[in-house]
Amino acid sequence: MPPPAVDIRDIEKIYPGNPAVRALKGINLTVPAGSTFCILGPNGAGKTTLISLLCGLLIPDAGGGSVCGLDLLTQTGKIRSRVNLASGHANFPDNFTVEENLTYFGMLYGIPRARRQERTRELIAFFELEPYARTPFNKLSTGIKQRLALAKSLINDPELLFLDEPTVGLDPKACLLIRSRIRDWSRARGVTIILTTHQMDEAEQLSEQIAFMKEGRFVRRGKAEDLKKSIGFQERLTIRGRGLVAASGPVEALPGVSRIRMEEGLLECGLSDRQGLLGAILDAVLKSGGSVDHVEITQPTLGDVFLALANSSDPD
Amino acid sequence: MRLQTHLIRINAFFFKIRLITKKRLFHIFEILFWPATALLSVGLLTRFLSLSEDMIAFVLIGVIALSVVQVAQLDISYVILYSVWNKSLKQEMAAPVGIPHLITGSSLMGIIHSALIFAALSIFSRYAFGFRLPRGDFLCPVLFYGGLVLTAVSVGVTVCALSFRFGGRSHVGATSIVSLLILLSGIYYPVDVLPRPLQVLSAWIPLTHFLEYFRSFYGFEAGSRSPLLYGYLLALLYLGLSLAALFRALNRAKQTGVLLKMSE
Repeated sequence: MPPPAVDIRDIEKIYPGNPAVRALKGINLTVPAGSTFCILGPNGAGKTTLISLLCGLLIPDAGGGSVCGLDLLTQTGKIRSRVNLASGHANFPDNFTVEENLTYFGMLYGIPRARRQERTRELIAFFELEPYARTPFNKLSTGIKQRLALAKSLINDPELLFLDEPTVGLDPKACLLIRSRIRDWSRARGVTIILTTHQMDEAEQLSEQIAFMKEGRFVRRGKAEDLKKSIGFQERLTIRGRGLVAASGPVEALPGVSRIRMEEGLLECGLSDRQGLLGAILDAVLKSGGSVDHVEITQPTLGDVFLALANSSDPD
Repeated sequence: MRLQTHLIRINAFFFKIRLITKKRLFHIFEILFWPATALLSVGLLTRFLSLSEDMIAFVLIGVIALSVVQVAQLDISYVILYSVWNKSLKQEMAAPVGIPHLITGSSLMGIIHSALIFAALSIFSRYAFGFRLPRGDFLCPVLFYGGLVLTAVSVGVTVCALSFRFGGRSHVGATSIVSLLILLSGIYYPVDVLPRPLQVLSAWIPLTHFLEYFRSFYGFEAGSRSPLLYGYLLALLYLGLSLAALFRALNRAKQTGVLLKMSE
């Protein structure tokens, strides 16, 4: 059985300053080789810090472990040759073309010329970068820059790939292309992927395991379905109508109703049991003088999980 | 790890500086235009002042030496500074490369550029101002040039170390160090015209000794009996110190998160 791609214990990271920022608080993580693992969390949760630490760009203040079976603290050079990273809004030398950038990074990874040229051609084709091969980086659109960042991240055929918000700022079409390329590559090569994203559909489509990070800790982890069940409601009720504000008190008081959200003409809440509650809620709305135009019941999404965990005051 | 892999990584930084030179017009100016205009203007000044042949040699040796140090250190400084300006340092430092690859690759390009400048300025000075390299002694200019390059590498590595601490602003460091060399190491005048405390400082600068060594072939007395030895010992000392500073600065940047901040 291959060693886990990542196996770390009690990792701490503090950014010095006034005040010092405790970015990671005793992180434990095991990611099996060949799997895709997604880290979700609000901005500042510590996702990028964790990824940067795993690929040798940061030194932890405490804890240890292994990446690709190599010691995180003493074998960072070897780790860096076996992993790679693509970040959202990645920057490259400005006036190097796509081809020159891939050649340069291929050289940084010590790839011999013949293999480097073949690999560069292969990646340019895989990410449909042929029309831009001789275009300088600073003349590329955001989507093409992101494709280049992904192509670069595969230049050394990594065992472990870190994708830090790889589709941030891209239009839906560009997101789809990038996701399909990540999926294809992962299936073809059996590469382990650790992904951070704010796009819930991306997390669900690409990952087998998802973990939520908040304030430097993992607060929950599991499969997407398990996480949805873990937030304490089975379904989400959305009511559109008029005069709903007056109903918020009585609705909130009903047992089995949770996470109520009220806006002008909109009432949203979680239901633990649709059968018993739907009638009671509608009754409460009408008795409060409101009217109902539209009722919708949906399954909870990862977005609900994200909001529930991000808004909870207790990180554990 | 295989030697070939290390050579490819060294070549990566050579390739990077080659591309910067090819594509960045400003860098070509720094390599060619500034040294040429400096030599021309100082050379014309020597004519205006009707200096003797040995005094012309004294001044032009200073100008050529300064240009060599300036050009070679720029290539080394740019290997980090360019990435800081482009915010691509994170991507590059995530690759399995180390400081030895970085400094060796960029120094090789620095050696090529500065050797071309040394040759071009020497030839131009000969035809324009009658300056000649010492006759019949091939080793003398080679040793002089080697000392200048070693000095330049220390300056370049120091600027790289400053880059990990102060980011893109550290190019001011390069200019400042070179300005101090002009003041203290006897580029345009013998160091004994300096006030006594500054003379003590100048004795700690390798360039002072390399200039004294080379000028001794033109009839100027050196301040010490072995200026070349002193120069090389000091240059190696500063190279060691600057490399230690660079290792420390990179390590610190990874501890404090500055490495990531510089790429945001």
